[in-house]
Amino acid sequence: MMTRDEFFRALLRAAKEAGADEAEAYFAEDESFRALASKGQIDDYSVNTAGGVSLRVLKDGRMGSSFTEALDEEAIPMLVKNALASAALIDDEDEQFIFAGSPEYQQIDCTGDPGTPEERIAMALKIEREAREIDPHVTETTLGTGVETERTTIRLMNTRGLDLSHTADMSVCMAGVVARDGSRATTGDSFAFANSLSALDAEKICREAVEEAVFMLPAAPCASGAMPAIFRNTCMVSLLSTFSGVFSAEAAQKGLSLLKGREGEKIAAECVTLVDDPLMKGGAASRPFDGEGVATRRKEVISHGTLTTLLHNLKTAKKAGCESTGNAARGGYASPAMGIAPMNFHFQPGEDDLNALCAKMGRGIVITDVSGLHAGANAVSGDFSLLAQGYLVEDGKKAQPVEQVTVAGNFFEVLKNVVAVGSDLKFPGGVGSPSVWVREISVAGK
Amino acid sequence: MLDKLIAAEVLEKALSSGGTFSEIFFEDTLVNSLVMRNDTVETVSSGRKHGAGVRLFCGTRCLYAYTNDTSRAGLLDCAAKVAAAAQCAEKAAVAPLTRRRFADMQPAERLPADVEHQKRLAIMRDCNRVIHEVSPEIVQAQAVWSDVDQRVWIANSEGLFVHDRRTRTRLGMMAVASDGKENQTGFEGPGAMRGFELFERKIDATEHAKIAAKTALTMLHAPMCPAGVMPVVMAGGFGGVVFHEACGHSLEATSVSRGQSEFCGKLGQQIASPIVTAIDDGTIPFSWGSTNIDDEGAPTTKLVLIENGILKNYMIDKLGGLRMGMPSTGSGRRQDYTFAPTSRMRNTYIAAGSDDGAEMIATMGDGLYAAKMGGGSVNPATGEFNFAVSEGYLVKDGKIAHPVRGASLIGRGGEVLMKIDRVGKDCSRAQGICGSLSGSVPTDVGQPHIRISSMTVGGRDA
Repeated sequence: MMTRDEFFRALLRAAKEAGADEAEAYFAEDESFRALASKGQIDDYSVNTAGGVSLRVLKDGRMGSSFTEALDEEAIPMLVKNALASAALIDDEDEQFIFAGSPEYQQIDCTGDPGTPEERIAMALKIEREAREIDPHVTETTLGTGVETERTTIRLMNTRGLDLSHTADMSVCMAGVVARDGSRATTGDSFAFANSLSALDAEKICREAVEEAVFMLPAAPCASGAMPAIFRNTCMVSLLSTFSGVFSAEAAQKGLSLLKGREGEKIAAECVTLVDDPLMKGGAASRPFDGEGVATRRKEVISHGTLTTLLHNLKTAKKAGCESTGNAARGGYASPAMGIAPMNFHFQPGEDDLNALCAKMGRGIVITDVSGLHAGANAVSGDFSLLAQGYLVEDGKKAQPVEQVTVAGNFFEVLKNVVAVGSDLKFPGGVGSPSVWVREISVAGK
Repeated sequence: MLDKLIAAEVLEKALSSGGTFSEIFFEDTLVNSLVMRNDTVETVSSGRKHGAGVRLFCGTRCLYAYTNDTSRAGLLDCAAKVAAAAQCAEKAAVAPLTRRRFADMQPAERLPADVEHQKRLAIMRDCNRVIHEVSPEIVQAQAVWSDVDQRVWIANSEGLFVHDRRTRTRLGMMAVASDGKENQTGFEGPGAMRGFELFERKIDATEHAKIAAKTALTMLHAPMCPAGVMPVVMAGGFGGVVFHEACGHSLEATSVSRGQSEFCGKLGQQIASPIVTAIDDGTIPFSWGSTNIDDEGAPTTKLVLIENGILKNYMIDKLGGLRMGMPSTGSGRRQDYTFAPTSRMRNTYIAAGSDDGAEMIATMGDGLYAAKMGGGSVNPATGEFNFAVSEGYLVKDGKIAHPVRGASLIGRGGEVLMKIDRVGKDCSRAQGICGSLSGSVPTDVGQPHIRISSMTVGGRDA
């Protein structure tokens, strides 16, 4: 039985012996825990350890790959054979890279304390009980109420001497409720994450979930029309996540992003600065090196309205004649292509909180939630047409709740029409945003 | 492969601190993914997924642990993890495992492992070429090949021991049309529970490629769809995503068993217009959502969900069934061993009716003809759903006027079902990937042309 280290070294040796010019092994393992509660009991409990290895080989300038989750005797010959066969078929002429290493890597500690299983179970039960008890309109909690923890370990090793590893801990607490009033039913949910379990504010997420559901009980569609709108922070995150691909140099070079060749141009309002920060403390996407082993760094993608850079990996950077921005991303060991992803992507916050933005807007709509993003948004054109809910703003104040409306627009136009960016920056995951006030959005309701 | 003796040990170990049911799901799967953009092979990858998940019930509580280490020690360790958290007063015994055999209704003729990548690439190259040939306004064609050869072994404390092999193949084709300022896309993704014979002999992929190109071109020259409330006629095939989102998820025990669906407690009641009959069928050989046995080892079934508007059946998995006091309908599905199963759709469609496709448009007044639908999503607790129209046409006074883009449709499942006032004669199905609690699973959706008397349409022009 080989140790992991022995396995990786044997794998890389075998790849070279079989004819690879260079080879790289990527290993990722997750230890995960989940305790979800319902009606005062833990009714969904899961403890898992799983991972896999991906092998990339470079031969005659072509990159091939393969992966396996079964690290047995067959694994090394299977990985080597499949990766080399794959390399022989690729005719992408873009120069590919197995990276020797950056001169320097920032130290960043992404570890934390996930607590004991008993502590996690106790927190899950507490969340579920409180979420049910805060408000009499709440009849039950929804699936997905509880606690999850995950420890992710990554190892990247190649024949050019690179040997990097990284460990990250994440604890998440989640609350979802159903509220009822007669035949009306609404749902509300909230969650929070941190490196350590003890940093989570379980009471806060219960309150947020309940307030949302109860507030929406009297909601109805509003009149149709074009109106000023504020995308609430978590809602703006959904939009930004969906359209984050337009900032990828890969998408631009393939003709799938309208931002192609527009570095240096004004693409957004002056008040918009969009930051990518892989070194953010406690960030969900924080890491010292990217998927290729390039050192990560903080960068402004949009600086006061001007597009300063797209996000690059080594391949796209070589094509564009610039440096990699350290945004190479694998979709996991099973995903063959080295893609590009933002890391802790967010709009830089402004001065006003959500209430202050409403006061300044005077009249319009606050959109709190959108759905159907995987279908109703077109990253190539920037168009979106989505189911939405939120509330009207009248005389600068929160007025009646709205549901069952669609909001339609274009992401690139939204960027240009931002009136102000709020101060309430929130990170539901690897993408964050404050609330954002936009000049005009098309709403279809009654 | 899962050894019967080891399986029995694992099931015992899982129940060793108490429990009412234990199960092991063992999987070994080979996958191939290839991507070709225009004439360039961009990625070719083959890999192996491998692992097992051990499940334990205590009444209606579920504990799950999965691992890649499928040695005897690794599997017993997994079982020990669920046993450690069991806290169950009852303790079921493990019945002797008996191998159950069945006829394979959909054997693959050409296993993916026996096919060289060059053959796949040749088909993909043809598709991309055909897409470009449709018009000079096509700027990009992308073909994504995916095949999966999944072998599963399932054993449980009720004495079940069963093995199934599922082979599926799909080719996704995307066309991008551009006029220099804007891009529009068209997509087709035919697939089936078949091996390489699907595209070698059964289906001409290039016919689908042409459709994808035409959708992109039609939408490129289309103005934005106006917003408003209006009648909508939906074409067949992928139009069935309407039913899938508006109704299907809300009929899964996943939400019904927790009282979190708008259709709870409505068996025997009218939940749709009397001209609607809807079916979920896991037994159609070679269909994208079909399997011999579900992912809990139960035989799949054909379910009449709604008959002439009356709710007849929910889709039920084992755990959901325990909560509801009803038997499983063979609807337990999971993406892979990293998920516990839950009730999911398989091949779900509105059955053919008797209305005429031309008449339903001629008598609709002003509205929308949704020729192609994109995907969507639903909140089963409230019934609110949404979906995107990927190719739409404005109808004026009963005549199709011109294409429109950027439209989405929203509503509440229960309301929309009641407003279906025409069901055509021409049922067809299309393939999709459905995402839910137990991961992504392949499903067919389908319907004939149907008309909904009024829906909220979202568009750019308010």
